[in-house]
Amino acid sequence: MTDVTAEAAPDPSIPEAVLGRRALERLDLLLLTVESLDLNGGEAMLWATRQLGFETIFPNRVELWKRRCHNPLRRSTRRGQLSAVETEALIRILCVMADRLYPMLHQLLSSKEPQDLTRQRWQLVHQRLRDLIEERMNLRRGAIQRFLGSEPEGPLQRQLVLTLALAAGPGGVDRLRASLLDPTP
Amino acid sequence: MLKQSYRYDQTTARLEVEGLPDFSAGHAEQAIGILSSWRLQIVGASELEGKREHLEALMQVVIPYVRLRLSGVVRSLGEQNDPVRLVPDGSQHRLDLTSGQPGIPPLSIQLDDAQLADLVRCLDALRSDGRVCLAWPSIQHEPLPRRDLVERIPLTQRLTAPLLGGATVVVLGVLGLLLPLPEVQSPTPAQAPEVKTETPISDPAQPDQER
Repeated sequence: MTDVTAEAAPDPSIPEAVLGRRALERLDLLLLTVESLDLNGGEAMLWATRQLGFETIFPNRVELWKRRCHNPLRRSTRRGQLSAVETEALIRILCVMADRLYPMLHQLLSSKEPQDLTRQRWQLVHQRLRDLIEERMNLRRGAIQRFLGSEPEGPLQRQLVLTLALAAGPGGVDRLRASLLDPTP
Repeated sequence: MLKQSYRYDQTTARLEVEGLPDFSAGHAEQAIGILSSWRLQIVGASELEGKREHLEALMQVVIPYVRLRLSGVVRSLGEQNDPVRLVPDGSQHRLDLTSGQPGIPPLSIQLDDAQLADLVRCLDALRSDGRVCLAWPSIQHEPLPRRDLVERIPLTQRLTAPLLGGATVVVLGVLGLLLPLPEVQSPTPAQAPEVKTETPISDPAQPDQER
């Protein structure tokens, strides 16, 4: 696993990254994908928060959960926007988690793995992600219904896993931040 | 032994760089300030090696390509005769390498998503390694312009809304034309105003009308 702790402290030179509605949805969905890949993902996120020195921003799991509830697709959503510091912290936590889960992401994306095994792995991730979405998201939203109706290895889930794989590691933070700041087409 | 060698390993890719410290720039003995060679091994493909400019060309194509993929944009990077070109090929990616030396045929390497991720992680690791004190080309990651993002939406989906809107306007216009116009009545000559004659008060005891 690549060590990203050295550059974890909030950097004042980082541009103000205030995310729009779609980007908040995407960021939270990526964190949810991390939780579906790692059964202990919630705890691991807290550990990553401490490792990166973000205890002042997210002192406990409730504060972390409250920030994630800015996703408009949540069942209990919160109004307003994430501040630039909170956004940066969530992006860095996500990249550390992706780095930690990289071997699993690699297995899912590799075409060299046995097909049956890959299909079973995707099915497992799909089922866990479905359960998490049904538990936490507003099921009346069209985006959620589309997601729940998708195939285990469909383009939506593959793009989530691919995003995590390409955002893992030291160079992933800048790439993911820029990608989240894309305008809505 | 002043020659230094550093290796960046991933499951399917291994990047190795060799070089010397540049003492004139104040580098430590463990640093690489002058790159003498590099090698890239990708599982299932020939070993690649070259000069520093080839490695920089690889970085300048692979890292922005990955940035595009993060936004869901599927587009090739690099021109036809460039030393490095990365082209989407179905669910995979084709890395085209053209040698500058005559007589060497171009090489194509097929990468799946996992191999692409491994390759970019190797390049990221090299760029962020403090022991390798080389000025790599700057790669700034910016939000993509809207026109690039529009391409990821299928043409039929993009055209649905304007076509539906245009069709609605046409249908409403045709319906409006079918509606009968109201008949225009010719103006009638104005009637002479009636002259009201007030009845005189018959009874002087009658009270005045209220205003």
